[in-house]
Amino acid sequence: MTEKIAACVEMYGVSKSFGEVRALDAVDFEAAKGEIHALLGENGAGKTTLMNILSGLYRMDEGQIAVEGREVDIHSPQDAIAVGVGMVHQHVELIGNFTALENILLGREGSRWKLDVEARRSSVEELAANYGLSIPLDEQVKTLPAGIQQKVEILKALYHGADILILDEPTTMLTPHEVDVLFTILKSFAKGGLTVIFITHKIQEVLDNCDRITVFRGGRKIDTILREEATRDRLVQMMMGERGMPPEGERPAGPSAARGGHPALSVRGVHTSAKWGVPLKNVSFDVPRGLIVGLAGISGNGQKELAEALAGLIELEEGEVHLGGEDVSGLSVSGRIAEGMSLLPQDRIEEGILPSLSLAENFVLGLHPHIFKRRGVFERETAHALGRKAIAEFNILARNEHVPAAHLSGGNIQKTIVARSVMLAHETGKTLMIANNPTRGLDVMAASFVHGCLRELRAQGAGVLFISEDLDELCLMSDCIVVIYTGEILGSFDGPEYDIYQIGALMAGQKQEEVS
Amino acid sequence: MAAPASLSDRKKMALEFAITYAAAGALALACGAVFIVAFGGDVLVALGTVLRSSLGTWGGFAQTLNKFCPLLLASLAVAFGMRGGHFNIGVDGQIYAGAIGMTGTAFALEGMNLPWPIFVPLGLLGGILGGWFWGFIPGILRVRFQVSEIFVTVMLNFVALYLVDYLANGPWNDPLAGEAISLPIPDASVLPQVMPRAGAHAGFIIALAAAVGMYFFMTRTVVGYEVRAVGDNPRAARFGGINVARITLIIMPTCGALSGLAGAIEVSGFHQSLLLGISGAEGAPNYGAMAILIAVIGRNNPLGVTIAAAVFAVLVSGSDSLQRSIGLPGAAVFVFQAIIVLTVVFVQARREIKAG
Repeated sequence: MTEKIAACVEMYGVSKSFGEVRALDAVDFEAAKGEIHALLGENGAGKTTLMNILSGLYRMDEGQIAVEGREVDIHSPQDAIAVGVGMVHQHVELIGNFTALENILLGREGSRWKLDVEARRSSVEELAANYGLSIPLDEQVKTLPAGIQQKVEILKALYHGADILILDEPTTMLTPHEVDVLFTILKSFAKGGLTVIFITHKIQEVLDNCDRITVFRGGRKIDTILREEATRDRLVQMMMGERGMPPEGERPAGPSAARGGHPALSVRGVHTSAKWGVPLKNVSFDVPRGLIVGLAGISGNGQKELAEALAGLIELEEGEVHLGGEDVSGLSVSGRIAEGMSLLPQDRIEEGILPSLSLAENFVLGLHPHIFKRRGVFERETAHALGRKAIAEFNILARNEHVPAAHLSGGNIQKTIVARSVMLAHETGKTLMIANNPTRGLDVMAASFVHGCLRELRAQGAGVLFISEDLDELCLMSDCIVVIYTGEILGSFDGPEYDIYQIGALMAGQKQEEVS
Repeated sequence: MAAPASLSDRKKMALEFAITYAAAGALALACGAVFIVAFGGDVLVALGTVLRSSLGTWGGFAQTLNKFCPLLLASLAVAFGMRGGHFNIGVDGQIYAGAIGMTGTAFALEGMNLPWPIFVPLGLLGGILGGWFWGFIPGILRVRFQVSEIFVTVMLNFVALYLVDYLANGPWNDPLAGEAISLPIPDASVLPQVMPRAGAHAGFIIALAAAVGMYFFMTRTVVGYEVRAVGDNPRAARFGGINVARITLIIMPTCGALSGLAGAIEVSGFHQSLLLGISGAEGAPNYGAMAILIAVIGRNNPLGVTIAAAVFAVLVSGSDSLQRSIGLPGAAVFVFQAIIVLTVVFVQARREIKAG
């Protein structure tokens, strides 16, 4: 394989712009039959864009694509399927109310007028057996765990004739054990002659699992190298270029660093109703001052509901929430903000910004009952001064504080809401910061900046509840970790050293006693 | 210093704005010209007639001012709701409710011999309260039961309309008039004229004051900021500690109060009785429908809405003369209004697509 690589997919001079942003700049790429090929790069480096072009989701502005030596025109996902390209996206795109079988057959149910799912069952079963994918075909997809849903997507791609399988960040929703299972399957695919391309920003996954690595940075391909030539340092250097890796930051100290007095947050026996989403069941834990407590869990296990219940957005059915010793269970959101709570919402677009209002007006949100001297008056100079300060201190790329927030890039919007919640914490006495997936979608530098802000709050004596779906990030940041599963806290771990397989087992629903 | 940068930003935005509207205006004129020619009219004559009859004579100008007042207040009511994220299509009902409030107050206080400087404000306040209540109903239904204000406001339009019908035919009916119209309101409750010979009442001054008031409310008060925040992204506003229910219960009744004031002024300044057809001139679309168009063209901004309302007032007041002078149906003006709206929307959308 090192001698001569028979290219199966070749892409030449591919360029793509979105508005003024050049997402891909004359990229060449090729992947061979029977290999696992990793595309490595930061968020926004262009790797997903390139694969979206290959799978027909985007059209390239310039460039050529050849599959097995023949030039092809890919204008739609149907064209891509026709030449054997199948993509499994980062977020599962199955229909929740359909069974696994119905999802796999979607688009190939029978002739145009006749729905004929059952007749094709045996062919699906056979394919699944051939590839070693065991899937409960008759279960509704929404009832299946994320790892199984992903297998359904993979089987769907294979059933539609894919022999070039692209997976976009396939491990983000999985527990460590499920990740191992996934790569075992992918390796057997490659042995069987498929081309597997997987997109990731995690260096360790690349080193553990692939044959060749193509690194992207800022819309350009840096290089393609063999696994044997790759070291962690070399990959970091290729990914980050001159900037290098951001400093790691202070490691967590573990629970012994907790400061005395009332904990920043104390949750006791909290239950919530199912009408708000995943119901919380008897949730109790503390966030002491001076610590970062990580909340681990696979997405959709009640993290969002917990954050909202703590913030006062969801009413409690039972239980109490205390902030710095004060019972705030009956207070509104603004009442809790006044008591020192600051929430960094998960979805920066839907929950974070006021898109057509100016940056200054965005920074003021939440602070607005506290910072104006004359009651009821919106003092524009105060707001503008705050905006200028935030833009400077948090390095936000914006022309000035009058720009509408929607004009900023995703990373700068995230910085804006981080800046706002940090300023809010300072203004209200720094009791508790709830950070819900604060680095999702950020590049390494921006993520490191957010981490720095949270560590600084910890050093100043605030308690931080850090919610993330990325277990590596949680381990790096947290003094201790609690695990949530279907709205229940299943256990907790003291840092700073963690066994990710034990945490992963709890994330998958095993009780702590069964694990240890 | 960020000031110079922001100044040039604003200049740029103002320029963009001007270009959008100049383009839309030119396109609308071109479409309107085609239309007039198709009806066998002369474009320049038609245009000249409209302008002369609405601005060129004192009487015409007074009529334009009298139309401008309800159009501006009704459009502010729509714009205020839009800024807060609510689509208020109940302006007509709120105008009727305001008219009822005004008339009822005038009749109730009739025997007290109040001087006009007290009586008129009290009457207008009655109208404002009537409209306020008509806006409070959809507001509270929205907050308590998540009922869409669109349905409620549309339904309340009918309720208000038939309430006026009942009052004008029944308890308040003027038996001498022989039609559905109430007894005249007392003289002391009639809004004074500012151009007595030409016939313009003081309503336009009140309406302009309301526009200025809305501007300051939106930009200089914390509640105004909260209204804009809720209108822009209610979820983010909630995460930021804003009580969205409370703000909704400010927005909808305020819309109602603005429309109610329009209805009160129509009674107190113009008709001096309660009658059907208070919301809108005969043969014309009613104020509620035009207000939505004006708010769209004025981008829900008090200054923009004021300018757009002025243009519409000129067109509405010029529409009668079109028929008299060149035999074009008066409704042609409303076709022209619709064309302006469509072109503005079209030009805006194109610019936004281009900007990405």
